[in-house]
Amino acid sequence: MQQLPPRSPHWVYVFDQAFFNETDARVHLYDGDNYRRLGQIDAGFLPAIAISPDGSTTAVATTYFARGGHGTRTDVVEFTDNTTLGVTGEIVLPAKLSETTPTLFSAAYSADGHFLYTAYITPAASFGVLDPLHRTVLSEIPTAGCVLVIPSGTNRVSSLCDSGRLLTVTLDAHGHEASRAMSSPFFDVATDPVFVQGIRSTRGFTFLSFLGEVHDVDFTGAQPAFAPPWSLVGAAEKGVWRPGAQQVGAIHRALGRLYVPMHMGGEGTHKDGGTEIWVFELATHKRVARWPLQPQGLSRIVAIQVSQDAAPLLFAATDTANVAVFDARSGELRHVEKHLGQTPWMLLNP
Amino acid sequence: MTRSVGTRRVARRGAPALIRCARSATALGLAALAAALPLRASAAGPAEDYTLYCMGCHGAEARGVPGKVPPLAVTLGRFMRTPEGRNYLLRVPGAANSALSDVELAAVLNWLAARYGAPHEPRPPPFTAAEVARVRHVPLADPLATRRAVVRNLTASGPAPPADY
Amino acid sequence: MRSIDELCENSARALAQRTSRRSLLAALGQLLTGAALLPLLPMDRAHRARADEARPEALGPDSCQYWKHCAIDGFLCACCGGSSTACPPGTAPSPISWIGTCHNPGDGRDYIVSYNDCCGKTSCGNCECNRNEREKPMYRPSRNNDLNWCMANANVNYHCTVSVILGVANK
Repeated sequence: MQQLPPRSPHWVYVFDQAFFNETDARVHLYDGDNYRRLGQIDAGFLPAIAISPDGSTTAVATTYFARGGHGTRTDVVEFTDNTTLGVTGEIVLPAKLSETTPTLFSAAYSADGHFLYTAYITPAASFGVLDPLHRTVLSEIPTAGCVLVIPSGTNRVSSLCDSGRLLTVTLDAHGHEASRAMSSPFFDVATDPVFVQGIRSTRGFTFLSFLGEVHDVDFTGAQPAFAPPWSLVGAAEKGVWRPGAQQVGAIHRALGRLYVPMHMGGEGTHKDGGTEIWVFELATHKRVARWPLQPQGLSRIVAIQVSQDAAPLLFAATDTANVAVFDARSGELRHVEKHLGQTPWMLLNP
Repeated sequence: MTRSVGTRRVARRGAPALIRCARSATALGLAALAAALPLRASAAGPAEDYTLYCMGCHGAEARGVPGKVPPLAVTLGRFMRTPEGRNYLLRVPGAANSALSDVELAAVLNWLAARYGAPHEPRPPPFTAAEVARVRHVPLADPLATRRAVVRNLTASGPAPPADY
Repeated sequence: MRSIDELCENSARALAQRTSRRSLLAALGQLLTGAALLPLLPMDRAHRARADEARPEALGPDSCQYWKHCAIDGFLCACCGGSSTACPPGTAPSPISWIGTCHNPGDGRDYIVSYNDCCGKTSCGNCECNRNEREKPMYRPSRNNDLNWCMANANVNYHCTVSVILGVANK
């Protein structure tokens, strides 16, 4: 059996929803330096994927049917050791997992790795608090219709609400609710909703809106703090150019760069995929580069991720299931990996 | 109500079309995408709001889904009997965080209570927008636990909704 | 030859246009006690009824670009052994759904559409279609097509999606 080489920051976990065979989702581990697949993690039906903060473990929260496509349903979190890609254990869950296209917040570890949160939608919304070390269920917390699990501070989880607010639940050391609070609204669903697919930033997560507004949310304080939104687009571009993808952006935190797949389109095109990658300098909010994709033989970009090291690679998955590897500083296209999965819709790294 | 010749003609021609549509929907097995036609023009708002914002989960006949989505038929009127029950209704996730305004939410709830109230039970006082505004913006932390407590208390004063669903 | 679904849609629409609400209610009461049917939401009484039925569409309901699929996500059941309003054999419709508002170029009106999933088998895999007019993220579930709307079924496996016209949108 082949052993995995020592871990590299230039590896990327490619989540493949396998939409045409949806009970058979996978995660493909890919080497962005040597352009080869390293291995696979099986992921069941409409899973949530989370990598532990120390990078050692991939948690897959998913559903299995006893007879493949039918039969008794079991929801479970399976843990895979990222040095061997072997499954090391599981936690059986109530059959309530949120089943949706992938987000960073369908399952998430707390920043210190002590808790694992799993979003539930039945359609009633709640989340599970799990102990990933002892492999136990600690609690289930109802969320008043607010959805998803954003790790938002020590023992804190936030969920997005239809009212444009964040619900934040604070847990005690045993994973039970200690208190909860609702923020003020920070976006208006009717006029310019935010994508639920947040982007990890230095002080929390950044949320992009359909019209290209950038909402940086700082989770380092006692409650979420919302910076005034800034815009990806100039006045002439607003409503014309917009973000659109399954995974709408990536941030290189040390370099302070935001990468967004952008396209020209109107209302209803928010999942259409990017025809260009726009690069922004976070310190100044200025666009510093535009990388058109079609001249490079690439179709629309539906997922994007960047490695966090000093010589970073940018990964972009297309709507034809190719994954492109770029030099994240120059934009030079290094390689296109063909058919890395069936429908790669989210790219992850620890 | 008078019928003109024209209406009778349409009714005859319309019947086969409606039966075709009925067969189509029946074949789909969708329980009661039934006519939700209010009789007054002013009620057009709540019917459409219910369809747009609530019906997707609570169903065309407001019966919910056992074990998953609470029914609104019959139960709404019962919850509306007491201040505690009314408070619960306005703070459940579908109401508290709903996109509907206070006026619109009051109208939808009142329309539902009128349309789907149990026939022999008294009609409760309708919600006002002011009452909705006062209560709704503090959502319940644990809707199911609150429901059970409210239902326990409601049984003292008449028929109660199911505690669970 | 137009399909049953097209005839149903055209007839329902034409019927709504020609008939006052009160006489329509009378007709429904006569014919359809307790039976399921496609409902028609209240019409604007000032609207002038048309003489003609809407012209047939160039595209049919097995095409992703058919007007009523404007917020669909998944596989068109018309390509999976069902129709655009009927689940394929052996699959069960979802009792819950998301809602879209779609513009019908045939008569220039907006219609409310219920997108129900058909559940209990694995992905149909045919006629994949994702459109997102007025679609919203999952914190507004009534407008979201990313969620698996089979979630409340006995078997939550997703197979395909239907588009059921509920009535005219006034909002």
